[in-house]
Amino acid sequence: MREELAPHVHDITRALGGKVSEQEIEKELSSYLNVYRVSLDTAKRSIVKKHGGNPAGLSVGISKTIRELLPGEQSVNLLARIVSANEKDVTVEAGTKHILYGILGDPTATVPFTAWEPLDVTLAKGDVIRIQNAYTKEYRGQVQVNFGVRTTVSKEKPEALPEYKPGAGLGAPYVGKPTAFKVVDLREGASNVAVTARILSIEAREVEVDGVKKAVFSGVLADDTGKSQLSAWKDFGLKEDEVVRIEGGYVKSWRGIPQLSFDDRATVTRLKPDALPPAEKVGESPRMWIEDLAERGGGVDVTVRGILIDLREGSGLVYRCPECRRVLRKGACRIHGEVKGEADLRVKAVLDDGSGALTAVFDRELTEALLDKTIDACIAEAKEAMSTDVVRDELADILVAQPIEARGNVTSDDYGLMMIVDQAKLLKIDVQAEAREMLEGLEGSS
Amino acid sequence: MRELAWRLFAGEYNDATLELNGGGERAPSYVVSPLGAKVNRIFVVGVITDVENVGTDMQPMWRARVADPTGTFHLYAGQFQPEAAAALSKLKPPVFGAVVGKSRTYKPDSGNVYTSIRPERVKVVNEAVRDFWILETCRSLKRRIDAMAEAQKMEPLSKEGLLQIGVKEAIADGIVQAVNHYGKADLARYTAMLAEGLRYLLPEYREFRPPETAAAEEAAQKPPAAEAEEEPDDAEEKVLEIIAGLDKDGKGAPWDGILEAAKSKDVTKDRLEEAINGLLDKGLIYEPVLGRMKKI
Repeated sequence: MREELAPHVHDITRALGGKVSEQEIEKELSSYLNVYRVSLDTAKRSIVKKHGGNPAGLSVGISKTIRELLPGEQSVNLLARIVSANEKDVTVEAGTKHILYGILGDPTATVPFTAWEPLDVTLAKGDVIRIQNAYTKEYRGQVQVNFGVRTTVSKEKPEALPEYKPGAGLGAPYVGKPTAFKVVDLREGASNVAVTARILSIEAREVEVDGVKKAVFSGVLADDTGKSQLSAWKDFGLKEDEVVRIEGGYVKSWRGIPQLSFDDRATVTRLKPDALPPAEKVGESPRMWIEDLAERGGGVDVTVRGILIDLREGSGLVYRCPECRRVLRKGACRIHGEVKGEADLRVKAVLDDGSGALTAVFDRELTEALLDKTIDACIAEAKEAMSTDVVRDELADILVAQPIEARGNVTSDDYGLMMIVDQAKLLKIDVQAEAREMLEGLEGSS
Repeated sequence: MRELAWRLFAGEYNDATLELNGGGERAPSYVVSPLGAKVNRIFVVGVITDVENVGTDMQPMWRARVADPTGTFHLYAGQFQPEAAAALSKLKPPVFGAVVGKSRTYKPDSGNVYTSIRPERVKVVNEAVRDFWILETCRSLKRRIDAMAEAQKMEPLSKEGLLQIGVKEAIADGIVQAVNHYGKADLARYTAMLAEGLRYLLPEYREFRPPETAAAEEAAQKPPAAEAEEEPDDAEEKVLEIIAGLDKDGKGAPWDGILEAAKSKDVTKDRLEEAINGLLDKGLIYEPVLGRMKKI
């Protein structure tokens, strides 16, 4: 056993109440880390869940640098310097809470933090602290560190950590050969991956990371199994339609969708244009089962066939805040109060394919097409009936129980999967032809 | 996470006698079928044959029956299912209806277990939607039969083993539970159910066809058809005509009237009962109240 893994194996065994042997845990952990190459945190939690335990029972945090942090870590240890710290009162469900918030830094990066519970030590700018059992969340695409009830914070000597210099460090180079993945198999947390794909689109953007402007090249790539967003943090000279092999990438997720990122540590090799099917072919939207999307966390430009089994609240004619586009409730915006709303049409429906369910959101254009009616006609109808319910009822009448094929991006969060529908059509299936084929298969095999 | 809506035939759903309670107040409960479908939510499209208020006027409890090619689902909707109850109360059976609901079981002291559905949504649909549901349900049933066949070959059976051979998580878990509770599932029975569902969709297997097409097809397919087999069909056709003819007020044809009319058309009482049972099984007639028959 690798020395540093021993405490984690003990931790998992203990969280499972000793019902699985350490040898077995060790074998599994090694398979998760070396074969599937997921993060240690993900691996530990998966193993505990797999054996029916509760991952909250894990108590040995994983020491990381700030750069290595991913959203959704449950138990992480950091050695960091306080870059800034402030106090404020926030309103939470149980009343008012006094919190400490600010920025943490180490030689690799900086990250915002919030302490939700009173700490044993007072913290000031420049202090070096050791944090155990913190957790992370994602807010607006950025990782945040949180100190909760289980978190302990202690002060260290200033020389325990070098000063943070912006733009200084990148992660350590990968050791060993990268692991090849098909696009559909990419999972959040995997690192040192190799992907062979065709670049479908690419553009340069400038973003600000920790106050420093950086160029990022983002776009979409695809192989014969699916599509993925890509972010290259170095100019590899990527061009649309070329076939490349990217080695040494890592997988982050954006709203649940795994996406391929790579930086200086990666190498990009150009392959012959015919190494993969042409762009029209790999660019096709793959048909997927919802259970597979749920397991991946989402997907880029996928097609799902299922039945709209229910309409959700807020479908039909809605009014939006002119400031922030939020849907008004009783004529008022949650943020901007009473405003004159702008009419919009949309559908939020439950699409279920028998393997899983997702919320499918149809925009105004698609909704108008489904209704075969303009938004103005809907407004007129609602005025006549003195209620917007007529529009919703009409939509329910057309859509509920209908087989449908929908194409779009699928994202995920704590509430499940959501598809922003790009294209949709009511399915017309030749039921008899399919039934006949299935019956022949059945009779042929018996 | 929202629970998915399983597609199951009444024949499979009503075979279920295992209910799993998640423990804890808000944990979902599941009805597990003999093929391992672990059902919390179910989606059904069939013929709603009757709706009845079995509660009081003040506190209505609507009971409805939904027939599919293999059997009948039982629905109960009360005050806590206001939308479904309202929809059921307005229905004029028979109609094609789509139902989304939660799985329920009822265990009287006799030790039997009866499955039912607590509907969340009920909607009147057309025949095309029903036919698509049958096809989808056949596909879903086939996946479970195939997975269970693999499971029966596996020694010892484990969820991990099933996942390894590509069985999906949602089914793999249910299969292990089902095998522990029901023992070895009768796959022949469910394969027959699957074939029955598929044939229901195909005009060449329909009992009532225009005589000329039927004759032409039979001449082409099987010249020496057994004549004895044709006769009950003939009786069914006659009885169906009688029932339609006697149903003057929309409340169904009275039994006495059917019996009399049958005699005059040379259908014996035994043959009549046989034909009625056949028609009930096929979902072509139903019994709105005891002693009355109505064409769907």
